[in-house]
Amino acid sequence: MIDSIMSLRVKFALILVLAVVTTLIALPREDAILKALGLKNANLQVKQGLDLQGGAQLVFQADLAKVKGEDRDQALESLITVMNKRANIGGTAEITVQRQGNDRVTVSLPGVKDVNEAIDRIGKTANLQFVEVNAQSGEQAPLGIDGKDIDSATADYDPQRSQPVVRLQLKGGESTKKFGEITTKLSQSGNLLLTLLDGQPTFGPARTEPINDGTAILSGDMDIKEARKISEEITAGALPVPVTLVEQRSVGPSLGRESVQHSIIAGMIGLGVVALFMLLYYRLAGALAVGALMVYTTITIVLYKLSAFVPGFTIVLTLAGIAGFILSIGMAVDANILIFERLKEELRTGKSFVAALEAAFERAWSSIRDSNVSTLITCAILYFTSSATPIIRGFAVTLAIGVLISMFTAIVVTRTLLRLVIRRGWGHNLRWYGVKPEEVQS
Amino acid sequence: VNIIGKRKLWYAISILMIIPGLISLFVWGLKLGIDFNSGQLSVVRGNASVETVRQAAEGLGFNDIQVVPSGSDQTQIRFRDPSPQAQHEANHQKFKAKLAERDLEELSFDSVGPTVSKDIARNALLSLLLVSVAIVLYIAYAFRNAPPPVSPWGFGFMAIAALLHDALFVLGVFSLLGHFFGVEIDALFVTAILTVIGFSVHDTIVVFDRIRENLRREKGDFETIVNHSILETLARSINTSLTVLLTLLALFLFGGESIKLFVLALMIGIASGTYSSIFNASPLLVTWHNYRLRRLQTAKK
Repeated sequence: MIDSIMSLRVKFALILVLAVVTTLIALPREDAILKALGLKNANLQVKQGLDLQGGAQLVFQADLAKVKGEDRDQALESLITVMNKRANIGGTAEITVQRQGNDRVTVSLPGVKDVNEAIDRIGKTANLQFVEVNAQSGEQAPLGIDGKDIDSATADYDPQRSQPVVRLQLKGGESTKKFGEITTKLSQSGNLLLTLLDGQPTFGPARTEPINDGTAILSGDMDIKEARKISEEITAGALPVPVTLVEQRSVGPSLGRESVQHSIIAGMIGLGVVALFMLLYYRLAGALAVGALMVYTTITIVLYKLSAFVPGFTIVLTLAGIAGFILSIGMAVDANILIFERLKEELRTGKSFVAALEAAFERAWSSIRDSNVSTLITCAILYFTSSATPIIRGFAVTLAIGVLISMFTAIVVTRTLLRLVIRRGWGHNLRWYGVKPEEVQS
Repeated sequence: VNIIGKRKLWYAISILMIIPGLISLFVWGLKLGIDFNSGQLSVVRGNASVETVRQAAEGLGFNDIQVVPSGSDQTQIRFRDPSPQAQHEANHQKFKAKLAERDLEELSFDSVGPTVSKDIARNALLSLLLVSVAIVLYIAYAFRNAPPPVSPWGFGFMAIAALLHDALFVLGVFSLLGHFFGVEIDALFVTAILTVIGFSVHDTIVVFDRIRENLRREKGDFETIVNHSILETLARSINTSLTVLLTLLALFLFGGESIKLFVLALMIGIASGTYSSIFNASPLLVTWHNYRLRRLQTAKK
């Protein structure tokens, strides 16, 4: 008995530590607190979706009809590389370019002002050019070959020096011949060859030898990543893929800000009303549930904040996501309600407090588990069928996280608190659990 | 209190609640938004009249212009731009500037092409189907050890009946809202329906779980056991729905215009889900059980 009381105290201490730590991190000014503790770079922010921070989401459809079946995948990947380059022109905001399905690309532009300009810039068809750069004057002159003459470009290793290079394969016949003439001329004049994609340098300017067999090796001071990038940019020019804008969703910054404010107010009121209800209806047990609910809320916020450090698993909070979170507050108390109702029933049968509590937890568990699994199944299916609709995905993610954490807080936190209280004499008062003494069967 | 004894009354109430929406669904259908139907949607701050919007759109060639007030100070402007895709954004920018001249600040703008809307609609139907199938299978699995007289599949199918009840009710209400108030459904609405389904099953499972437990522990009439299982879980069912509805009400009142309809769909569905898990799912178990009993008896004769 002493043993289990000790472990109960340890558990309680752990919960207390968890509550304090998560509260500190969950608070809006956590960066100041963390900095005071000596942690630098402590910039924790819940990542907000475009509907909250304002910006535009553009979906482009790639027209792959002219690309051969086996090249389509590569053409799309190259397209994404190029779009990324065009979208990230300033290299500032967190712009993302993602593949969606087999032939679409989603571009997210947070805080973009001129959507029209962005659409034109990102959505144009790739244009690859080769130009001659005069070694003395630096003047550029077109050379009369372009993307149409290129068969493929691949990143490779130079076998002799094990140095990353790009292998450029020209199309046979006329293209190879033309390239041979140009490179011969360039090597004689000492002028340089520059590869441009949409007017931006991709490779060079670089010296060249005469290349008559149609295979050029682009080498220089590059690592394999750069080699891949260059090869993808050239491929994008060789397999030009026209794109059309098929979906656009833009939210002005004022609406986003308003949505955040509204959601915070709604969340606080929702949380407050639920807490009040639990207190009035379940008295002492309700008070413990409110404590568990606070822990639940702070753990969830901390998880949102920390997820930003895990690439690929970052939780992006959208308006629907907030709705999912607030809805999960309502559902979080369900586990507590199940347990407390069960506790009342067990107490009414005349069991001792300790026995009633254990029976209540044991019997409520199967209901809690089975019912929450059904919500989790719904969330999982929503998640997997919503790759094209990020708002829905955000909702599925926050609701699922809410359900999982609420199971933990309802069972571990509430149970530990209740056990602690019920082991003390002053905790033995039926009315504190919402049971009238005359209801107890003797 | 005898809930099971009055089951025909509860069924009648359910049917009466569902029928108007069902008729509306058949006659008018749902008013599909641009997510499913493609087109353009601009939300502006201020109360725009149809006349003002038409003036702003003059010369741009937009079709199907609709002006629907949203909340106290926002207006939804829906239209269809028949010009080639490449021109859409330029047209939109002109329109936006014209609206701004009339003191209508654009808050958000959505444009969805036909290929995308087809995909969204397909995904929506797919997810509805998958959720329903997954839930029957899950319940049949979770209740695989259920003592007779109910088979695990019985639990599964009655939960689906309750879930259909809730989904149809919400769909019906939104069909009516669409016809009379121009309310359109979007991708988020599908999410609401799926959440309602999840919640409905969540609620039903708690009652079923108690029925299973009591069947194991008690001897007696099936009807009586089901009835007091419902009564034992009644306080929980109502309190849980109440807390969820309270949080949703806070969202509905203070959460802003953009998610108001989404929250409304959730509220209607969750209220319906609570009703169906108490007054439909478990009574249906009894109805089904009695029906099978009668068939067995006539077979014996």
